[in-house]
Amino acid sequence: MSEKKIKNIFVNGPIEPAFIADSIAKHNSKTAIGGHSIFMGQVRKDEIEGKFVAAIAYTAYEDLALEKMHQIREEIFEKYPLNCMHIYHSLGTVKTGEICLFVFTSSAHRKPAMAACTEVVDRLKAELPIWGKEIFEDETHQWKENI
Amino acid sequence: MKIELISFGKISEFINNQNIEVDGIADTDTFKQYLENQFPALKSMKYKLALNKNIVQENTEITNNAIIAIMPPFSGG
Repeated sequence: MSEKKIKNIFVNGPIEPAFIADSIAKHNSKTAIGGHSIFMGQVRKDEIEGKFVAAIAYTAYEDLALEKMHQIREEIFEKYPLNCMHIYHSLGTVKTGEICLFVFTSSAHRKPAMAACTEVVDRLKAELPIWGKEIFEDETHQWKENI
Repeated sequence: MKIELISFGKISEFINNQNIEVDGIADTDTFKQYLENQFPALKSMKYKLALNKNIVQENTEITNNAIIAIMPPFSGG
């Protein structure tokens, strides 16, 4: 079986576009790859009862989330012929318009990369103990709930 | 028996992280009853427990010095 090396996925604050660009650039030496799939989650300025979301503050049960993410990662690698997979999620405050989630999968041909990317995002939202607190422009808040 | 209680999300607004001393609680189902008596607001909420960093799927035995997390529905991503 694979050795258990738990990777951190958490980033403090928003995920910077430059970090994403750099992450893409790092793959130009991995010439077996023929397709990348990228998902980025962005904080949306939702309107709820006349108030607009200004930011989301993320917290997590980090140990459990990383453990669970490790398990999902292993299962995805079993299921799809991927060359690599990178996952980053914000903690702390992320303002509307900023990136809070970055999932990046790569394979020799596009289809596994695309399917794996979608599946990772779905599973991450359903299974990782992470909570988003929507902070409104008037500084009141409500807790998000993934459906 | 000593239990370290930690809470997250919305639930952390009315249950602080704390060490508690309880007797006669042997498993997670009984512990849920205890929690809902102590914190009636939980009764109308959806939540899951994690016992020693494992999400509780079915009634599980609790041993001394357990860490129990109370978790509302997740909302990452």
